[in-house]
Amino acid sequence: MNPRRLWRRALLLFAVLGPGFVTASAGNDVGGIATYSAAGAKFGYIVLWTLVPLTISLIVVQEMAGRMGAVTGQGLAGLIRENFGIRLTFMAMAALFFINTGITATEFAGIAAWAQIFHLSRYIIIPLATVVVFLLVLRLSNKLVERVFVVFSLIYLSYVISGIEAHPDWGAVVHGTLVPTFSAETGFLVTVVGLIGTTISPYMQFFLQSAVVDKGSGPRDLWNVRADIIVGSILGIAIAGFMIIANAATIHHVAVINHKPPLNIDTAQAVDFARALEPLAGNFAAALFGFGILNAGLFTATVLPLATAFIICEAFGLEAAVDRRWHEAPFFYGLFASGIVLGAGLVLLLPADKLFQFTFYAQVMQGGVLPLELVLMLIIINRKRVMGAYVNTPVVNAIAWATAIVIGGLAIVYVAQSIFGSS
Amino acid sequence: MTFHDGFLSEMIGRTAVVGTAPHQRTVGRIADFVVEHPDDTFPKIDALVIKSKSGKHLAPIGSIVDFDANGKLVLRDEPTLATPPDDEALYLVEDLFDKQIVDVDGRKVVRINDIEVARTGGALRVVAADIGFGGIVRRLGGGSLGRALTDKLPRTLIAWDNVAPLHDLNPTQIQLSVSDSRLARLHPSDLAEIIGDLSARDAARVVGSLDDEAAADALEHLDAETQRSIIDDLGAERAADIIEEMDADDAADLLGDLPEEHQERLLREMDAATAEDLRELVAYDENTAGGLMTTDYMWIYPHRTVAATIAKIRELAPETEFIYYLYVTDQSEKLLGVLSLRTLLLSAPDDLIQTVMETDLVSVHPGVKSTDVASTIARYDLLACPVLDDDGRMLGIVTVDDAIDAIIPERLKKQLPRFTKQHRRESFEQV
Repeated sequence: MNPRRLWRRALLLFAVLGPGFVTASAGNDVGGIATYSAAGAKFGYIVLWTLVPLTISLIVVQEMAGRMGAVTGQGLAGLIRENFGIRLTFMAMAALFFINTGITATEFAGIAAWAQIFHLSRYIIIPLATVVVFLLVLRLSNKLVERVFVVFSLIYLSYVISGIEAHPDWGAVVHGTLVPTFSAETGFLVTVVGLIGTTISPYMQFFLQSAVVDKGSGPRDLWNVRADIIVGSILGIAIAGFMIIANAATIHHVAVINHKPPLNIDTAQAVDFARALEPLAGNFAAALFGFGILNAGLFTATVLPLATAFIICEAFGLEAAVDRRWHEAPFFYGLFASGIVLGAGLVLLLPADKLFQFTFYAQVMQGGVLPLELVLMLIIINRKRVMGAYVNTPVVNAIAWATAIVIGGLAIVYVAQSIFGSS
Repeated sequence: MTFHDGFLSEMIGRTAVVGTAPHQRTVGRIADFVVEHPDDTFPKIDALVIKSKSGKHLAPIGSIVDFDANGKLVLRDEPTLATPPDDEALYLVEDLFDKQIVDVDGRKVVRINDIEVARTGGALRVVAADIGFGGIVRRLGGGSLGRALTDKLPRTLIAWDNVAPLHDLNPTQIQLSVSDSRLARLHPSDLAEIIGDLSARDAARVVGSLDDEAAADALEHLDAETQRSIIDDLGAERAADIIEEMDADDAADLLGDLPEEHQERLLREMDAATAEDLRELVAYDENTAGGLMTTDYMWIYPHRTVAATIAKIRELAPETEFIYYLYVTDQSEKLLGVLSLRTLLLSAPDDLIQTVMETDLVSVHPGVKSTDVASTIARYDLLACPVLDDDGRMLGIVTVDDAIDAIIPERLKKQLPRFTKQHRRESFEQV
């Protein structure tokens, strides 16, 4: 078959992928790679079990977002506006813009790490990447860009292969996955909050719900929406699991047999984690790792500021569309441009050796905000006036509330620990 | 400010007092505004809701004096305890603030940020909805900075006669509450675009509120998936009525997408002749001349006079979409010639059709691909092209608009420019 047709086939295959899959792919962003890598490298297989409850919570939370979109035909921002009025909406949107700009910065930090691996100056690469992101969004079809990035996400499969090639102790993998283990070591709690924050990022619910609405799915498509979400979530988390395994079997393992202290999150560099790909790529591990984070960074840096601008405009009923001219949708373009420029600018201002820490703690912050978002979603989705017969079942309510309470509790304990310095 | 005009957001939360200066007594704060007849073009505000610790009270509009120098609302009488809400009554803040509405003039779904009121004809009336950024700043209480900012911004108001709320304002009301005629006034393709922006539930309700003909027009412009979900929600009987009013080719496309039994149920609800035509059309592939064609065309016999034919058009035209070409057939429906409306009008009344008709015919077979039908229509500059079976009998016609629809990619259709924004902005600059 000639390559052109093969390419078209591949695109067609991804054309049928739903919002759930795209959201899951966007979820394994630079922050995801950083957090899963750090968790595996520092703690080894014993953090794997957190992915099991996380999978359940992720599916339940995303299903709620998908269901709200299919039933009401509105995005999450619109529902928050109708149910909680303008003040709370304003605060929620300000928080969303703040956090998403921070996450955008972590994506640019990933691009900076790629530049570092290839000995390129980030002061040239980051402005260049900013221009590329603008061009991708303003000049090309959004769906096409999305699909190309999702295809490139296949690069994550290298973690699966590398994880297997590293010959991990499979007994320990199974034990680590099935038996909840807590570590008294410094940084365990913050790592768990970071894992939660990067796996169930607050923006993903907004993103997914808007995508479901955009696709025109109604209540009778609910099972398709659910299937898409379940498959997307499980695949996304499976890849996260292999990232942890690959790092545990290499970086963590080497530290343990040499009786060296495990990785220190507060001094680690992104490049350190390239070693997890050595069993697969040998000397090219750094290059492979670099292209992985470049793809993840560019993808989410393109999607996130755009989605944020759409969501905020939806909340305030302002004109929002890429096919409008600048003066027709000034707020939309203003939000979009400032999201990218602030995110990229932040990366240039931060010291180069702190970019990994910035990325990691941004995920922790997402974990801290998630319970607030969940409470808003839970209030709305249980209103008969809004959801009719599609309000939450008691089981879904129980899981979602438990998720919100556990994460909220962990976040509070972590903040208390940091303040009173018990760690 | 006076209690004569302004934005509701500037009045909400202000203290309400009873009596004059030395003996003033605070009774609560302004919370909401009650409209008893929301269906009026510019509905009158009948009462204010005054909220205090002891609950919500109603102050009839007649009992209001004005705002005093301190910005307090002075009432003549003590407000009465609020009665349970009337089914008809509309609470402007509770029911409309932050909700989605259709901007009939701008043809899109927007959100109400604020409401402007003005005193006209001896009553305080709702005159416009603010959907812009200025309304948001005002609601958030931007203070003097906010006011300076909002004054600089272009005002984005929709006159109230162009506002059509979407949601049931009151759960006990089943129908779409504000005049459906405001939506019915839209061009079907604009209406379809708005419907495409709504949730499945709202879409079915809006279509259900239109008369059969308007609903059919709007449905023709919607994509297959939305059509199908609306048809499902409307129930077989109503759906069949609407489909009967649609162009035969569009109706056949819609039916073709439905499962067999559902299709049958709808066809059984229709009158026999329409159902028969549709059954034939459904059998053709959607992307061929057969799938594109409509059976709704005018045919005449060759031995009629021009005058008699014109009389027949007058009689039949109201029910036939396409009257620009007349197809001349014999009794076995074999196509003999074509006659344009222009030729007909320019011919002498006594001429016979067979002497003025064009006999050099362009036609297609029902199995021809839609792109080829479109090229045929383009090459010969036709408005429609007849579809003939192997024996030269008329099956239907493909009109130029359906041919264009069939060849423009879906993606491009969505990008076609809309000319509404500029128009609206201009109309407000004049205000």
